[in-house]
Amino acid sequence: MSVKSAPSAKTELELITQAQQGDRQALGELVRRHREGVINVVYRMCGDASLAEDAAQEAFIRAWQHLPSYRPRSPFRNWVYRIASNVALDALRRERETVDIDTLPLSTSDEGPEAAVEGIERGERVRQAVLTLPPASRAVLVLREYEGLSYREIADTLSIPIGTVMSRLNYARNRLRETLAPYLEVV
Amino acid sequence: MNQHVTPWLGAYHDGELKGLRLRQVEAHLDRCAVCRAELEKLCALTMLLQESPAAETLTPPERFIAQVGLRLPRRPERTAWQRTLETGWRLIPVGLLGAWAFIQAVFFVSGVVLDALRMGLGGDVVAELLPPSGGSWLMQFSSLSGAGLNDVGRIMLRMLSNGGPVGWGVTLNVVSLVVIGLLYWSWLVSWWARRQHHNGNGKAI
Repeated sequence: MSVKSAPSAKTELELITQAQQGDRQALGELVRRHREGVINVVYRMCGDASLAEDAAQEAFIRAWQHLPSYRPRSPFRNWVYRIASNVALDALRRERETVDIDTLPLSTSDEGPEAAVEGIERGERVRQAVLTLPPASRAVLVLREYEGLSYREIADTLSIPIGTVMSRLNYARNRLRETLAPYLEVV
Repeated sequence: MNQHVTPWLGAYHDGELKGLRLRQVEAHLDRCAVCRAELEKLCALTMLLQESPAAETLTPPERFIAQVGLRLPRRPERTAWQRTLETGWRLIPVGLLGAWAFIQAVFFVSGVVLDALRMGLGGDVVAELLPPSGGSWLMQFSSLSGAGLNDVGRIMLRMLSNGGPVGWGVTLNVVSLVVIGLLYWSWLVSWWARRQHHNGNGKAI
């Protein structure tokens, strides 16, 4: 009796190969593995959780469409993040006015009421500050600070030179340090 | 006081510096309070950014995967004939290289054989079949027919019969190289166009 290995036991390369041949279950497993990261990249880029989920689905659909041309020279994660970044930018262009911070739902916390409110407010200000960055710098910052990609990986993901990664990251950080100066003093 | 290492602090903070530059920055940080303060601010910024909550996913993973599955467009399956065609298309540069090598070999071998025959290695019978070195078959034909040709016509006819001003061998060689070159560049352009088309998102940020 042949035992078919469970999708979770398969390597990413096997899943990619199967998905390239049209196996939707293999793509489903890839989606399961990268869903959170892709949603977060889009969310950090556009600042809206529901829009982020929709855009993340769109990113996976684009990935499916272009999967036959994917060559595993660079990690699948980077490739799909690149698609996600561009989907987020497209979504931003469509929405134009994406985020009204005051209308976003505030998350609950187990801390005391004052600390919780303060933490929520700080989180929202940080998110707002990130959203004011130019998209190109924001993408680099998100991939570095939230997804932990190396400079080389960011360069590959966004198809830009490493020097540009460094300059965009420096620019983003300097802007954020100015915008978030009051919060940086008390951290 | 040495020059500050501010431009490199971000890369140092991200663990991206190596070798000499890393040692320079570390040595500078040991003795420069200003740069140490800058580095602390960078660390504080990273901590602050991490405090910002991640996306609260509204859809459970299984449902998300199912939704993606439902939205997936049908991908046209490629037939064996299409796969063969694709493989053949990918092998075009190899084929062109092979064609070029073959043509070069033919010209080289034929040149060597012709020279050898002209030197009489093939005997008298073979030497009679070879084109005369000073004239040409066409010129002989025209003189035999008795048709009078003026000087310009004679020169043109001679050049034509010799394969142009540089001879048939070189002309054919150049023409074949140009054709192979054009085919290769056409393939390269179509490869680039396909690559752009299939590049996932087609544009960099």
